[in-house]
Amino acid sequence: MAKRILIIDNGSYECRVGWQNSKEPELRFRNVLTKPRKDRKKEKNGTGDAGGNPPATADASSSALLAEGPAEIQVGNDITNIEAVRAHLKSPFERNVITNWNHQEQIFDYVFTKMGFEGSTSIDHPIVLTEALANPSFCRQQMSELLFECYGVPGVSYGIDALYSWEHYQQQQPKRGRDGLIISFGYSTTHVIPVLDGQLQLEHVRRLNVGGYHIITYLFRLMQMKYPVHLNAITISRMEKLVHEHCHVATDYREELVKWSRMDYYEDHIMKIQLPYNPVTASNALLTAEQKQEKRRELAMRLLEIKNRREREKMQEDEQQLQHFTKLRELYEQQKLQKFERALEQQQIKSLEELDELILTIKGRIQRIKKRPPTVPRSSKQDRMAKPPEGVSQEDWLNELRAKREKLLQRKQTRQQQRQEQAKRHTHAAQERMRIISSLARHEKRRKQPNGEEEDDGFGMNDNDWDVYKRINRYNDDSDSDADTEQLLEYEKILGHYDPNFDEAQPDGQTSQQSAAENYQLHFGVESIRVSEILFQPSMIGCSEAGLAELIDFVLKLFPADKQQRLVQHVYLTGGCAQFRGLKERLAKELLAMRPFQSTFEIYESPEPILSPWLGACLQARDSNFSRIMTTRKMYQEYGSNYFQSHRSSNPYYPTPKE
Amino acid sequence: MEQTAKPKRSFKRPFAFPKNCVYRPLRQISNMEKNQKQSSDTPTYFTLNAPPSLIPAKKYSDISGLPAPYADPHTKLRYANAEEYASMQHMPSDIINGYLTVRGYTSAVG
Repeated sequence: MAKRILIIDNGSYECRVGWQNSKEPELRFRNVLTKPRKDRKKEKNGTGDAGGNPPATADASSSALLAEGPAEIQVGNDITNIEAVRAHLKSPFERNVITNWNHQEQIFDYVFTKMGFEGSTSIDHPIVLTEALANPSFCRQQMSELLFECYGVPGVSYGIDALYSWEHYQQQQPKRGRDGLIISFGYSTTHVIPVLDGQLQLEHVRRLNVGGYHIITYLFRLMQMKYPVHLNAITISRMEKLVHEHCHVATDYREELVKWSRMDYYEDHIMKIQLPYNPVTASNALLTAEQKQEKRRELAMRLLEIKNRREREKMQEDEQQLQHFTKLRELYEQQKLQKFERALEQQQIKSLEELDELILTIKGRIQRIKKRPPTVPRSSKQDRMAKPPEGVSQEDWLNELRAKREKLLQRKQTRQQQRQEQAKRHTHAAQERMRIISSLARHEKRRKQPNGEEEDDGFGMNDNDWDVYKRINRYNDDSDSDADTEQLLEYEKILGHYDPNFDEAQPDGQTSQQSAAENYQLHFGVESIRVSEILFQPSMIGCSEAGLAELIDFVLKLFPADKQQRLVQHVYLTGGCAQFRGLKERLAKELLAMRPFQSTFEIYESPEPILSPWLGACLQARDSNFSRIMTTRKMYQEYGSNYFQSHRSSNPYYPTPKE
Repeated sequence: MEQTAKPKRSFKRPFAFPKNCVYRPLRQISNMEKNQKQSSDTPTYFTLNAPPSLIPAKKYSDISGLPAPYADPHTKLRYANAEEYASMQHMPSDIINGYLTVRGYTSAVG
C-alpha cells in the first residue's frame, strides 16, 4: 500500500497541514513562533528542576516541550495571547520566501509533533510543500537538506500555491480552457501569473510586493495616529478583524471618496467601533460635584473623629497626673517630708514651687479643653460660591462676568495666533518680532538731543512698556496666560453655577458617562476602502511599484494580441485578499478600461480562496502519477541538493550553472 | 551549544546547517543569484518584481484620505479642507511625522 502523503501549504500568513485524503487540512496555524524572554525562561527552569514537575503553563501542549528541555518555544496555535508577544513574534519568512532556517525547523518540529510523529524514528511519508513563485534555488536547496537530512523524508514535491489553486479550480470546472491569468493575493505579495496551454509563463509573471500584511499594517498605523489616546487598545489583531470583516474595494475610488466627504453620507455610513471601556476605572473622574463634596465631607468627619479621640485621651492622662500631683501635695501638707522628697525625686521634680506650677498648668489645660465645644465639620470653602456684590443685580453681574470671559478668550486666541505666526518665517509677525528685538538691542536708552542734553526715552515709566518683551517671547506660556486661564476657570465656575443655559456647564453624571464610553469609539469610515486601495495605488504607502491594474496591463502587453485575448478570457482570483467585497467589480472596471473596445473578458473567483492551494495539492498527490513527479531521496543523493522534479504546478527547474 | 538547547525529538536526526546558512536576508540571496553565471534571460525571483508605476501618483489627504488639493508647506502634510488644516495645527510633531512616513515621504534635507 502506498504511503499517505502529507500536504503542507506553507504560507507566510498561515500554514495548513493535512493528509492527502482529507477533506480539509487537519492543522491550521499562524506561521509564527515566539521565544519567551530569557529571564522568564530561567525562572521556569528553576521551578521545574526544583519541583521535579513542569510548571503549569496556560497551554498544556507546550508543557510537553517544556519537560524535554530548556528551549520553550511557542509556535502557531500554542501562542495563547498573540497580542502579548506581538513584539517578539518571529517568522521564517521574508516576504514570501523562507530565509530563516532555524525558525523553519521549529515550525516543522511543531507540525510533525502535532501530526503525531512523536515516537517514530523519521518522517516516513512523502511531503508536498508549497513554495514561492521563482523561489531562489538557494532556499529550495536549504529546504531539501532540512527535509532529507534532518527529518529523513522519503520524497518531496514542491509546488506553487497559486498553481495548485488553479488546478483545484479547473478540476471543478473541467470545461474551461487551459489558459488563464491567475491573480494571486498573498499576505506579503500579489502575483499576476499568465498560464497558456496549462504552462506557466514564468518569464512574464510579475509580483507586486504589497499584500494583506501591508493592508493590515496600514490600517493599524492610520488608526493609531487618528486616535493617539487609544494607542494600546488599537492592536494588530483587532485591525486584522476589521480588515477581514469590514473592508472592501471601491469600484470607483474617487467617486466613493467624494461621497465620504459629504457630511450626511458620513453620518449614515460611518461605522463606530466600541473599544473595551470600563466605567468603574473612570468613575473617579466622573463624579458629580455633589458626590465629590459628599466624599470630602466624609473625609473631614473622619479626621475630626480622630482628633477628638486624641484630645479625650490626652485629657484623661492629664487628669490622672493631676490626681497624682495633688496627692503629693497632700503629703507635703501632712508633713511627711521624707516620703515627699523621695516622691519628688522619682518624678524628677526639683522643688515644691515647680510642683505647684505643674499642677497649675495641668489644671489650666483641662479647663481649656472642657470649655471648648466639640468641633463640628465646617462647611468647606469649596461650597461657598461667589455672590454678586451689593447693589448690583445678579443678572447684570453675570452679564459682566460673561463679557469678561469673552475678553479673556479673545486674548488667549490672539496670543495663540501670534505664536503660530511667529513660528513661521517670512510672516509679518515674525518680521515685526525681529524689528522689535533689534530696536531693543540698540542700547540707546538715553538719546543725545541736538542741543547736547541727554533725554530719557521714558521706557519703563509705564507698566505697559514691558509688554514689548512679552510680544517678542516666542513661547508665550508666560505668567500672563497662566493667570488668565485661572481667571477663566473661575468665571466659568460662577457662570456654570448661576446660569443654567451656560454651554460650558458640567454635564451631569448620566450623560458624561455615556460620552465617556463614546470617547472609546473608533470611527471607521473612509478607511474601509482606503486601506485596500493600496493594492491598486501602492504609492499611498510610498511604494513606487505599479498598482494591480497597471501591472495586469503591463503583463498583458508582454504577449501578442491573440494570446492577450486568451488570457483575459479567464482571469482567476485566488488568495486571502480575493475575498474583499467589490474586488471583482473593480477589476472588471479596470479591465474594461484597458482592453480594446468591444472585446470580451471574464473574471472568475475561486470558490475556496484560502484553502484551494491545499486542496489542489491534495488532488495532485492523489493522482496516480504522483510518484513520478516526486523528488525522491535517491535523486537528492544522486543529483545534489538543488535538484528537484518539476511538474505542471511547480517552478521550472534550472540547473545551477557550473563555475 | 545550539544543539543542546533544542528539545530532542525522536523523528529528527542530528543535523545542523553551517552557521552562515542558518539565516540569509533576501538581499544577500539576491546578490548570490546575481553572481551565479546564469544566462541573462532566465527568470529569477528578483526579475519578477513589478515595474515602477508610470501613472502619476494621486494625492490624498494624509489625515482623512480624501482627495487633497492642498499641501501645508510647513508640515508637508496634504489636506482636503479647512477643518483638517485647523486640526493639523494642534497635531504633535510625532503624529505629523508618522503620517509622512506612512506615505513614504522623505524630505530632501533628510
